[in-house]
Amino acid sequence: MRNYLKQIRTILWKDLLVEFRTRERLIAMGAFVVLVAILFNYATDWARVSPEDIASGLVWMTIMFAGLLGVGRTFHLEAEDGAFQGILLSPVPKDAIFIAKALANFVFLYIVALLVVGVFIFFFGLEVGGSFGMLTLVIALGVLAFVALGTLFTAVSTGTRMGDTLLPVLIFPLLAPVVIYGTGATSQFLAGRPVTEAEGSIRMLAAFALTAFFLGSWLFRFVVED
Amino acid sequence: MSTKKILLAGTMLAMIGLVWLGVVYWMSFFWVSTEVTQGIAQRIFYVHVPAAWTSFLAFGLAALFSGMYLWLRDERLDRAAVSAAEGGMVFATIMLTTGPLWGKIAWGTYWTWEPRLTLTLLLWFIFLGYFLVRSSTENPEKGKRHAAVVAIVGALDIPFIHLSVIWFRSLHPAPVVIKPEGPTLPGDMLTTLLMSLGAFTVLFLGLFLLRYSLENLRSELDTRSRHASV
Repeated sequence: MRNYLKQIRTILWKDLLVEFRTRERLIAMGAFVVLVAILFNYATDWARVSPEDIASGLVWMTIMFAGLLGVGRTFHLEAEDGAFQGILLSPVPKDAIFIAKALANFVFLYIVALLVVGVFIFFFGLEVGGSFGMLTLVIALGVLAFVALGTLFTAVSTGTRMGDTLLPVLIFPLLAPVVIYGTGATSQFLAGRPVTEAEGSIRMLAAFALTAFFLGSWLFRFVVED
Repeated sequence: MSTKKILLAGTMLAMIGLVWLGVVYWMSFFWVSTEVTQGIAQRIFYVHVPAAWTSFLAFGLAALFSGMYLWLRDERLDRAAVSAAEGGMVFATIMLTTGPLWGKIAWGTYWTWEPRLTLTLLLWFIFLGYFLVRSSTENPEKGKRHAAVVAIVGALDIPFIHLSVIWFRSLHPAPVVIKPEGPTLPGDMLTTLLMSLGAFTVLFLGLFLLRYSLENLRSELDTRSRHASV
């Protein structure tokens, strides 16, 4: 067990270190998020709609698209020089590789997701108020579900001729519950409703995230075997 | 069973299904009484609901065979999975075209976010991904495995999608006046529906077996041509 955690930690640390040194993915995703918000400004008549009414949907869709941009690169670095073959040949269980890769994606996307909320507060004067803590929890659960399915299906789409273009076709239909419960809970927070009203959505999101994570770590071995 | 026997069984079942379907069409056009509130348009029901049922059956089988394929690695299970998935796509497409046609007349709008309609649409896209993965992976063995993973995740995701689209609907009630089936179904409508369910199921099983034997023949041809070239 200790060995297993160590293996996960090693791969996770490698991915985080590479990213924090190059900052390629974070910069790309961060810039994407800010630019999307700028375009949203011109796509919406803010004089007629208040940010609280539509922000929940925009925040979640921005997270989805930024996530697509991020997880699509999960295996690109290793694809060069056959480094991924090396990881697969190493005596690390396949599910440990999956968990480490998914957790690294989680860290990147969670940072970007919080940036999305920040951008909406900064640009559109979104009032988050006292529900900020719960909002970060809901986003964490949604992002966890996203990276679980995203990491699994990036491994699938990387092996196809279509590459990253296949990824949204594969994961968007599966992620419908995340968008539905995520925006549901978020709009309840933004409307200033008590947290208990969003409890059902949060539970469903948690159940979905755990199921997705379990499925990913179980099925990943079938995707990468040769 | 040899491919020849499966081919024969498939042809027989498909023929029976087609004749049965003819009977169902006759029943739904001439025999069954017209529904009072929706009028003649309600007759789409006898195609729409059985198509939905058949597509769910087919996608369920595809996921089941996919799971067994990953476990046992028998080529025949993969062929069965892809045959069932194709049938599911066909019947889901029928469900998704008859739904809006009926909806336009019954609800006054082509699309409502009716949970079952939404679920079928998402399922259609999940299996579109299944076929894209299969066809765009360079190594066919890999493509089969990856497609099986898509089918399994899709099947296990369905309960969540189902619950969430119903929950969404409870938050945003759509302007629906008439429920698709109505509270209780009069006797002759129920008879027609059950007949239609039978016809669609038999037709699907026939097409499934035909498709499956086609896959068998294809792989046999593949093996023979490979032997010939050596």
